[in-house]
Amino acid sequence: MMRQLALSLALCAAACLAAAAGTAPAGTAAAAAARYSADPQLSRLEFVGVQAGAEFKGVFHEFTATIDFAPDALGSSHFDVQIDVRSLDSMDKDRDQIMRGADIFDVAHWPTAHYVTHACTKTATGFTAAGSLTLRGVPKDVPIDFQVTPTAAGAKLDGTAKLKRLDFGVGRGDWKSTEWVGDAVKVSFSLLLKPRA
Amino acid sequence: MPNQDLPTRYGWVAQSFHWIIAALIVTQFTLGWMADDLPVGLHKLALLARHKSIGMTVLMLAILRLIWRLMNRPPALPSGMTAVERVLARATHAAFYVLLFAMPLTGWLMSSAKNFSVSWFGLFTWPDLIGKNEQAFELLRGTHDALSFVLFAIAVLHIIAALKHHFWNKDDVLLRMLPFNKSEKRS
Repeated sequence: MMRQLALSLALCAAACLAAAAGTAPAGTAAAAAARYSADPQLSRLEFVGVQAGAEFKGVFHEFTATIDFAPDALGSSHFDVQIDVRSLDSMDKDRDQIMRGADIFDVAHWPTAHYVTHACTKTATGFTAAGSLTLRGVPKDVPIDFQVTPTAAGAKLDGTAKLKRLDFGVGRGDWKSTEWVGDAVKVSFSLLLKPRA
Repeated sequence: MPNQDLPTRYGWVAQSFHWIIAALIVTQFTLGWMADDLPVGLHKLALLARHKSIGMTVLMLAILRLIWRLMNRPPALPSGMTAVERVLARATHAAFYVLLFAMPLTGWLMSSAKNFSVSWFGLFTWPDLIGKNEQAFELLRGTHDALSFVLFAIAVLHIIAALKHHFWNKDDVLLRMLPFNKSEKRS
């Protein structure tokens, strides 16, 4: 039931996106966004959670990021990030095992998370993207703040996001309580972008 | 001077350190043993979080207690004790002081080595002493466990000795560490 609902929501979102893309006035933008992909060796995706009052850090080793971006073509800028949740590493194998388990990320059923942006806008310090994160099959809007620095071969994209794990059902049973594991999770990433074909 | 150690009794500061730390250590053994029997999970995490917060409290109290102890001479040992008894009593007390530091420090190092930083009752987080290191964690856990057995053993010895002094030797060794007891025996 939940899965059907999630699927229909996802389809609806996809249809809306397609419609929006179709009605966008093509050719009005002076420049097109540059097409990049993140170098998996030199890019990093981290999260910081709070456990028993103390912060702990984890990373996802495996993810692919397909990025279309240009500061002067924000209308056609777009991020699509696929994260292999199974690749999570909090630098403790006991904790990793618990986190991959059914009550937390349930990677057996939801091995991947997906982030897509709907729109990018300029801010005082950089850019912000409105986008949707689908985690444990639950889509939820998560904005990200980011900066882009040009490099010799492409660009470096650094960003942060804040989310609440319980919005995605990350934490069921005992782990639903926020007494010992905080609801708020900070996400940060540093992507080294290379031009893609 | 009510906060100064009297020659025949421990002062209220020394008594407070003694009994508060004793109560915290009993709590620590209880939490530690309970957590030991649990599988990795939320309940273990919660018990060990309390264990760590109390352990860091013991460490802070131990620092203050050591300073107090160095600034204030304790009452003299009863005159009837043999040389062996005196050495044993001094060694036991020295071992307590060593363990008051060694237990929390090995625990803190363990937490750092396992990448589970130590919070103090959720109010602030202590810095990690060492980086993540699986082998160091196993070694430190073994040390922490072994020291807990030593602590347990000398605590039993300490209690038996205090009772022996009170009921067998009929001296004031136990009474001078008890509050609300003003019947001071002048030696």
